[in-house]
Amino acid sequence: MLKVDNVAVRRAKSVTLRDVTLTLPSGRTLAVVGESGAGKSTLIAAILGLVKLARGTISWNNQPVSACRPALVMQEPRAAFNPALKLRRSVMEPVKARSIIPEMGRLERLCDGLELPPDLLDRRPAEVSIGQAQRVGILRALIAAPPLVLFDEPLSALDAVTQKHTARLIADLQSEEGFAALIVTHDLGYAAAYSDEIVVLNKGRVEEAGPARSFIESPQTAYGKTLRDAAFALGALELAA
Amino acid sequence: MRTLLGFLLRASVVLAATALATFTLLWNAPGDPALAIALARYQSVVPAEVVDQIRAETGLGLGFWTAFQSWLGAVLVGDFGNSAVTGLPVLPELVTAMSYTMPLGLAALAIGMAISVPLAILATRRPGEWLDRFAVAIASLGTAIPAFWLGLLLILLFAVQLAWLPAMGARTPSHAILPALTLGLGIAASLTRIIRSGILEAREQSFLPALKRRGVVDRTIGRDHIAPHAAIPVITVLGLELAFLLEGLVVVEVIFGRPGLGSYLVSAIFSRDFPRVQAVVILTALVFVAVNLVIDLIYRLVDPRIGENDA
Amino acid sequence: MRSVILLVTGLVLLAVLGPLVAPADPTAINIPNRLKPPGAEALLGTDAFGRDILSRLLHGARWSLGLAFLISVIGLVIGTIVGLAAALGGKLADWVVMRTTDTFLAFPELVAAVVIAGILGAGTWSLIFALSVTGWMRYARVARGIGLSLTTRGYVVQARLAGLSPLSIARWHYLPSLIPSLTVVWTGMFARAILGISTLGFLGFGVQPPLPEWGTMLLDARMHMRSTPLQMIWPGLAIVICVLAINLAGDALRDSLADKGQTA
Repeated sequence: MLKVDNVAVRRAKSVTLRDVTLTLPSGRTLAVVGESGAGKSTLIAAILGLVKLARGTISWNNQPVSACRPALVMQEPRAAFNPALKLRRSVMEPVKARSIIPEMGRLERLCDGLELPPDLLDRRPAEVSIGQAQRVGILRALIAAPPLVLFDEPLSALDAVTQKHTARLIADLQSEEGFAALIVTHDLGYAAAYSDEIVVLNKGRVEEAGPARSFIESPQTAYGKTLRDAAFALGALELAA
Repeated sequence: MRTLLGFLLRASVVLAATALATFTLLWNAPGDPALAIALARYQSVVPAEVVDQIRAETGLGLGFWTAFQSWLGAVLVGDFGNSAVTGLPVLPELVTAMSYTMPLGLAALAIGMAISVPLAILATRRPGEWLDRFAVAIASLGTAIPAFWLGLLLILLFAVQLAWLPAMGARTPSHAILPALTLGLGIAASLTRIIRSGILEAREQSFLPALKRRGVVDRTIGRDHIAPHAAIPVITVLGLELAFLLEGLVVVEVIFGRPGLGSYLVSAIFSRDFPRVQAVVILTALVFVAVNLVIDLIYRLVDPRIGENDA
Repeated sequence: MRSVILLVTGLVLLAVLGPLVAPADPTAINIPNRLKPPGAEALLGTDAFGRDILSRLLHGARWSLGLAFLISVIGLVIGTIVGLAAALGGKLADWVVMRTTDTFLAFPELVAAVVIAGILGAGTWSLIFALSVTGWMRYARVARGIGLSLTTRGYVVQARLAGLSPLSIARWHYLPSLIPSLTVVWTGMFARAILGISTLGFLGFGVQPPLPEWGTMLLDARMHMRSTPLQMIWPGLAIVICVLAINLAGDALRDSLADKGQTA
């Protein structure tokens, strides 16, 4: 279980976090929503240990998060890969770096699940589509079978059709693999359709938190209501319906 | 104010490190320095007692740290010690050497500016035309010619073949013409390149077409808008030019047989006169750090954006 | 990049093949034949010991160019390691490294090289040491600058999350991005090393006679400036041509990188 307890982060130029508390049980999905600048990316950086905490603790099963070797799927699919290296090299980095031997056929099985043709991994990042690159990013995140995977706006660089498709693939893989997923997104429709719980961040604070369905039906705070109504107006909540 | 203090602190760390590095190098130099001094002093075979006496007198027999501390302590109050060879105090010698080196360096800088500024301005009037290409070619050639060879060529032409100018020594002002020209031409070459690209870059700045549309005259634009932009890289580069100048001075003073800091350093190294070497090294580092400090401050005045990024 | 590769190949060929095509032994002394003007026997004339100047120039390429290549590559290796250590090693490492670099930059490089080579005693090894020790700082600055700009790149963050060691991250994710810019710096330092070697040789602190290094040859030639001025032209011309060619190749490389949008 991921526990973020009363965390504060101060950064010189970007958004700070104040008194952020949340939990994510193993195998479940938590969506963190909010407008850009709400501190969502800072939260991810804090969980991964990439920024120093000014206050509070973050743990996975009462141990430092780094001990569970969490994985990250990034917003910009191509930027997550070294342009000079073949995708296979980057994908195998998490297992090679720790000399983990993945179970027989795991790579092929994951490729299959992500609908990636086998020879795709012998190309370089610039030679695949954005959608493919993002699925290779997910492949890399899962190759070492981490118990916790963080998704930082995993769909926002993709077109509408690819978004739905990729969201489906992630959900299917999660039910097979059983990892806990923390999904940061500004897309309330995606959050509502694919997560168990939703946490609303606003200006670095947790505005409200609760089960996804009950948040969509009746937000508890004025800010949450504004956010939901805006999403309705844009038709973004169709996914949830 | 805080940046100034920080810079002074950094400068003193750098100077202390330079002092320690030089001292370590001299201390661990191969051969017996006392013997070397004895040979330099008496120019003949010397008995062992004399060598021992020199060792005691110069502090060479002390431990490394003791010797370093006593030397540094003396330097901090302006006492650079006595020459190991002549036994005379080093400081007055340094002052004399500087009195030859400074005018030569300034003259070279003046020649460099006098050639490069007009040449760059004329060249950039019509970029890509023959004058511009000529300026670029000459500048490239100039930066590729080693200072000592240029000096030799000038001696060959003006002193040996034409016999217009004296080559060796520093008795009259005309003795300084060829050395100053040697250094000045080298400086002119690199400055021309830099000023030229500075002007071209400033021209490309987006505000210039707007000014022209508003009918501001060309000359005013050049003076008020292009010049400050072209000045920034020039100021930065003056620090590098100083390095070039100091390197060139060593060579040029040796070639033209001029007294000065450079030839003083070379002869001190040859005679293994450690107090003299140390004094020149410290003085050079001091001048270099001080000039770079001034350049940095001017830089911040001209362009307030500098300094935000480097803490 | 192509112009640099072509040029380097040319200079390496000159250094390797030069001595093989030299018409005479560069150190063979022949006093009766001394200070001969250019002619059929010696195309560029002979020096004060009757040695064939053309042969000395061709053999000298191995010293002047070969040593410059060695020195600039030593500087490249030291500077890259130092710069990457600063970029990857955290704040303390960065501070230490940058203050050290400042200290080495607080002194004109060639003057420092003269002092170091002179104190260590004239000779080829002191020359190599002196010019290498004073010739790594530019590489370090460039490597550190690019390295710092890479730390927030997606693939570097991913590599750190994957648990890759700093050494592997440097090898696989930093080094490839450094190569273009460091090549530009290297061309400049190669040219500087040629000038540095000949200057130290000319001052008497470098490669020692009778070895035919170009700067040392000029030191000899200077004595006979009045009788055989041409003798002084050839080694200088060799230096200028090599330095000019390297600088032009470096400029071309920098321009082509700027066109591609990579900073040099």
